[in-house]
Amino acid sequence: MRWTSLAIRSLLVSPLLLSGPLLAQTDDGWDDWETGDWEEEAGPAFPLYGFIELGAGSRLDRSPHHDRLSLGEARARLETDGSTSRFQYTVKGDLVYDEVLGEWDAQARELTVSNGIGDHLDAKLGRQVMTWGSGDYVFLNDLFAKDWQAFFIGRDDEYLKAPQDALRLSGYFDRANIELAWTPEFEPDVYPRGERLSVFNPMEDQIIGEAQAFVADTPDDDELALRVYRNIGSTEWALYGYDGFHKSPTALSSDGQPTFSRLRALGGSVRLPLGPGLFNAEVSHHDSLDDPSGTDPRTPNSQWRALVGYEKELLTRLTGSLQLYLEHTQDHDELVLNSPNPEWEAEQNRTLVTTRLTWRDARDTMTLSLFAFYSPSDEDGHVRPRFDYRFDDNLSLSTGFNLFFGEETHSFFGQFEDNNNAYARIRYAF
Amino acid sequence: MMNVKTVLATAALTLFAIGAQAEEALADPREIVRKAERVAFYSGDDGRSEARMLITDNQGRRQVRQFTILRNTRDDDQTQDMMVFFSRPADVRNTVFRVIKRAETDDDRWLYLPGLDLVKRISAGDKRTSFVGSHFFYEDVSGRSTDLDDYELLETTDEHYRLRGTAKNPSEVEFSHYEVTIDRETLLPVGTDYYNDRGEVYRQMEVKKIETIEGYPTVVHSIMRDLDTGGETEMQFRNVRYDLGIPENIFSERSLRNPPTDWLN
Repeated sequence: MRWTSLAIRSLLVSPLLLSGPLLAQTDDGWDDWETGDWEEEAGPAFPLYGFIELGAGSRLDRSPHHDRLSLGEARARLETDGSTSRFQYTVKGDLVYDEVLGEWDAQARELTVSNGIGDHLDAKLGRQVMTWGSGDYVFLNDLFAKDWQAFFIGRDDEYLKAPQDALRLSGYFDRANIELAWTPEFEPDVYPRGERLSVFNPMEDQIIGEAQAFVADTPDDDELALRVYRNIGSTEWALYGYDGFHKSPTALSSDGQPTFSRLRALGGSVRLPLGPGLFNAEVSHHDSLDDPSGTDPRTPNSQWRALVGYEKELLTRLTGSLQLYLEHTQDHDELVLNSPNPEWEAEQNRTLVTTRLTWRDARDTMTLSLFAFYSPSDEDGHVRPRFDYRFDDNLSLSTGFNLFFGEETHSFFGQFEDNNNAYARIRYAF
Repeated sequence: MMNVKTVLATAALTLFAIGAQAEEALADPREIVRKAERVAFYSGDDGRSEARMLITDNQGRRQVRQFTILRNTRDDDQTQDMMVFFSRPADVRNTVFRVIKRAETDDDRWLYLPGLDLVKRISAGDKRTSFVGSHFFYEDVSGRSTDLDDYELLETTDEHYRLRGTAKNPSEVEFSHYEVTIDRETLLPVGTDYYNDRGEVYRQMEVKKIETIEGYPTVVHSIMRDLDTGGETEMQFRNVRYDLGIPENIFSERSLRNPPTDWLN
């Protein structure tokens, strides 16, 4: 493939081309170690940071729905930040050539201005990534946009969080801190939709691929997320609220198109040290406003979601964690009774267990990690082994697998079985 | 009649005697390490410094870290807040490390990862692991509580105390014991040798330079050597300031997302 050879060539050449001026820059102001004095160095007038990354991934088996290539991209990140007398700004964007879709793309990751208003309030306006909640890869009250495609094809973890255009107001007070995120235009998850990953489409009663990829109708409305939190001693308490839409297209519009129905969520979380490790618990009620009685088969039912987790260091530099997660669907009888395909409906109690094992070497140069999801109720799962290696301050490698398994083709992880993939990314940061 | 020389010599001897009396050697190892801990980690009500690390591995390859530290001691004179704001290298830029060091219980520690906007809590067990890839441990940076170890005074010279420290809970640490040298004049620890089970020094901290800043003796250059594998990390500080009056609320989750630039620059 022409792109591959080009990629290999640019991979070999780019660090060499870049390392000249960049290494010179790195040495700047650091020649004085031998003299024992640390001189003041002038910072760059216009600091520019970023990275260049090449990523390649392949499906492990032939898929009837897609080519072998699951990840093929050359990505350049540029970012700068600074402040004027009145506000701070951050500009962070990617330029990507994506071989899988055969297209160039420019994405703004962050484009914000922020400012403190008085002593107790911060405001941040613009495109930004937001995260809260206590789960590890499991989200109950964090209803900010996520990119599941990026997560399942082996992009950097950073890309699991999709940016959204929002106004974030943060208030800091003695009694509690309050955060309000208003997104004027609903930003859904980047959901698997056949384009990169084959998924089960209940409408067609089959797995669909690139040829049948769909785009859901996105409501033209706003969403509002709220968090009230406080630390008491070593314990972190938080309450959450959300008013918007389900983040995945789990509903059908009146003309049969996948779409996003209304969602209001309320929840809370706690995180604290317990024994030698960290314990967290989180609960959230997802109120499906468009289907309060659970009788509408086109709209998801309301749910209770609950999570408990524990993480501790098992051996020096080996950390392990376990999470137990429950999704309890309300009015499940009504759901099954009214469903055109009752056999595909999730069980009333969907359970999920996750484990994470992370081992780092003494210098944090090498990281081995294994994250696994397993659902006893759905009998499906997802395993993510990964190897990260940091050659130096600039060059790093990440490689791993995304493996899916399941008894049924319609279950959450089982539907992705044709997408088992291996990937490698090499990154030059500057 | 005494000549001038004799007068001067007598005066000098008298002064020396007074000086020696004032610096009479301490005999209680617990008292020595408590005092050393105060000087090393509790100087001033608060403080700020810029730090850099030069990490050299056993093949001579170098990496750098640069960060600014803010520190505050709470009114109880025990609990400490510390925040570390990274500026170099590029892949850890804007990462923030936050610690609440407590006297009685384990430290609370968080890492803010700006790419994900994630406030990640770190479990207590990880404190004797590499601080951002260097040969220093997290605990070397925030300070290991002297309450965790038993001490024995090995030697007192004109310049130094030499003590042997043993962990009260040996399962929490990788050393069998360590020997720390404390400067009698400043009471700063100036060198530590960590011993393994075979009685060999495998890890060694050495202070290269001390400056008295605003009246507080301050380590401005130190080195941590890994004698097992051959690597080392040098650490230097500059623009060290004490008693700035940094408000306590600066040490909060707010500063992870919005670094307090007024106190950093």
